[in-house]
Amino acid sequence: MTDAHLKALFAQDEPPARDPAFSAAVMEAVARRRFVLDVAWLSGAALIGGLLLWALWPVLHPLLAQTGDQFGPVAACVTLALVAVMLVDGRVTATAR
Amino acid sequence: MSARRPGDEPVSTSPDVALVEQARAGSTAAFARLVERHQQAVRAFLRRACGDWALADDLAQETFLAAWSRIGRLEAGASVRAWLCGIGYNKHLTAIRSRTRARTREAAWEEERPSQASAMSDERMTLETALKSLPDDQRACVALCLAADFSHAEAAEALGLPLGTVKSHVTRGRARLLEVLGESR
Repeated sequence: MTDAHLKALFAQDEPPARDPAFSAAVMEAVARRRFVLDVAWLSGAALIGGLLLWALWPVLHPLLAQTGDQFGPVAACVTLALVAVMLVDGRVTATAR
Repeated sequence: MSARRPGDEPVSTSPDVALVEQARAGSTAAFARLVERHQQAVRAFLRRACGDWALADDLAQETFLAAWSRIGRLEAGASVRAWLCGIGYNKHLTAIRSRTRARTREAAWEEERPSQASAMSDERMTLETALKSLPDDQRACVALCLAADFSHAEAAEALGLPLGTVKSHVTRGRARLLEVLGESR
């Protein structure tokens, strides 16, 4: 009985060098984890944003009432543009991953 | 057995360096390549360390998932294979400690696995039994150094054990296995 024989015996339980089923299962779990983290991050950001808006509303409300008529359309356009940029950026990032 | 396996090459020239960099930058494709390159070593180590193939594969999956979260903490120039086996070993120890661990495996996944007992020769079964009789630390050292060609230093790094302890574990473990296998002949 030698080390080489011992090693040959150990080699009998060696998994295959390539196992697409295992790799796919791991990457599926990674994608799931990434999705949960993204949702958690976005939920947190939305919650903080909402709380900030609620806290600042007494200050923001009079300002918006004064400037709303003048800057309303511009603000709407800027918001739409920002959303479009974020969507495109998200797609580009997702493709790169 | 002479074929060079992923992780056997020097760290500085290994494709792992570039893959880790890309994975750190958020590349899922690079991480998938790392999984592909090291799944065999991690699963083989865990099979030998815990003796239950299905549990070992579950732990290996958890190992890679943890590695994905912690890849930013991997030191530059460190061996990815040793790092992954270290995470896997800690997962194995945690599983041992929490005996209440509930394993749910998809039926299809389970069916694909070869039957552990039927795939083994008598001698291999004897080795498996002898391996199970070793203490956990000793068994892990044997699994890395005798079965997977890890250097003592690499095994010490992976298992978080002092180098001298690894050396004595390997020596004692080898003696025990050879003794049992010699008796069975």
